[in-house]
Amino acid sequence: MHASRIEPQLSDSAAAAPLLQLAGVEQRYGAFRPVLAGLDLELRRGEFLVVEGAGGSGKSVLLRLMAGLERAAAGTVRMAGEDLARLGAAARSHMRRSIGYLPPGGGLLLSRTVLENVALAPWAAGAARNEGVRRARVALALVGLDADRTAQTVCSHLPSGERQCVALARALVNRPALLLLDDLLTPFDIPSAARILRLLDPFSESGVTIVVAQRCAEPSTVPLPAPWPARSRLLRLQDGQVPA
Amino acid sequence: MPFFPLVLATAVIVAAILTGAIFLWRLQPLEAPPWVRPQALVMAAGAEGETDLAALGLALRKVGSVLAADFVGRDAALANLAQRPGLASLGLREMRPNPLPDSFVVSFAPETGPDAVEAAVAELAKVKSVESVQYQPEAYRRTWALARLARRLVLLAAGALLAAGMVGVVAAAGLLANPDPEELRLLDALGADPAVVRRPYVYGGAIALLCVAALAWWLMVSASAWLDPLIADLARQYALHWSTDGLPAWYGPAFCAMAAVLGGLFASAAMRLAMGSAIK
Repeated sequence: MHASRIEPQLSDSAAAAPLLQLAGVEQRYGAFRPVLAGLDLELRRGEFLVVEGAGGSGKSVLLRLMAGLERAAAGTVRMAGEDLARLGAAARSHMRRSIGYLPPGGGLLLSRTVLENVALAPWAAGAARNEGVRRARVALALVGLDADRTAQTVCSHLPSGERQCVALARALVNRPALLLLDDLLTPFDIPSAARILRLLDPFSESGVTIVVAQRCAEPSTVPLPAPWPARSRLLRLQDGQVPA
Repeated sequence: MPFFPLVLATAVIVAAILTGAIFLWRLQPLEAPPWVRPQALVMAAGAEGETDLAALGLALRKVGSVLAADFVGRDAALANLAQRPGLASLGLREMRPNPLPDSFVVSFAPETGPDAVEAAVAELAKVKSVESVQYQPEAYRRTWALARLARRLVLLAAGALLAAGMVGVVAAAGLLANPDPEELRLLDALGADPAVVRRPYVYGGAIALLCVAALAWWLMVSASAWLDPLIADLARQYALHWSTDGLPAWYGPAFCAMAAVLGGLFASAAMRLAMGSAIK
């Protein structure tokens, strides 16, 4: 399942059309101050966006809004021109199958095996059992895990780095058009993080839009940390806003 | 509670309800037999003509809560007495003149309370040409109190059985529809069709109640076959109507199919609730 094999290079016009548009997006819970306030953002096919911010800056909420897992309190989130708030339950489910979402912590079912966790995504998308297993094995190989060795391992027995690889394999297994990776690199050391980012690069080049949320204690003023791909764009969040 | 004990316990309760319902159906039309009705014996004054006795019968029937007034002639009464074992040797049949009076057996409506019966008895005594009225108020009061207690106990037991049956049915249908909320959230995030997520649990609920219904039906049929001859005999002895008609053959499969549909509906509702609370 190499990206170069599954996604043809996009034409210029297709790449120019925004895949994701956020306009005036605000999110708040109850009467508390907004978690996100007045956020405008456009993402085109093949873009690589790094969302950087301290804990509580609104990164995860932004990714959940992009995934359609939450509804914005104000503003609109559009994917391929469709307002996510107006989608029915069936259309929303269908849309999510084209998104690879990695929640903070990986969101694995720790009592299930590696293969079950990864194959859950194609099964949820309606793939047959054997096809789901086949795709899961390919995805595991893609993230550098030996499927024969790890497939039947229960996830709770894996070290945190391998768990994150399993979660990444699950996000990739359905050949998504949009990858939303929350807190992707936290469990990895710098060489492993660089390897993971190299792994994502062909996907981005072949038209998959990638958003990686990354926590930083103090937002730095340097453009991007060393491992990020040169073509990536940085969005720095502070208290739910893009600082001026 | 583990699945199989719950299915078995629910099936036993449902079988008890079904058996009770079938027995009630067999007793239809449910009419109180004569021995349950309160009765009084009204003695007519002597030397009444046929016309007077007919008028007296009519007058007795007009008294409040009187259901029937059946005439028993003095000769018939003496002949009846003479036939009784122990009295036959006394030569009652040859007794002249017949000392017994003409009388009426007055029956009251089965639901009439003791106060109303006693008031009616007092009224009967005042009817013209009535010599005396024989009635045992204490015996009827005791029977009435026992009948009321028995009715309430039966209602209480039936209510408890129905409640236990409903709890068991809902629990059996929903027992399998108990998914991990984390798994539901994940499936939602992965874009799983909610109907597809619910489906195995709905099948589980349907199969659970199908098992309950099939087991309950089998238990009911076995219990009925075992008890029917005894109850039919009792019903005959106590002058109760008892139908020996069997249930139509399609009732069993229809009952099981209905239970399966109900199980599916319960499980679907339980899953909707579970998914709604997991994916907020």
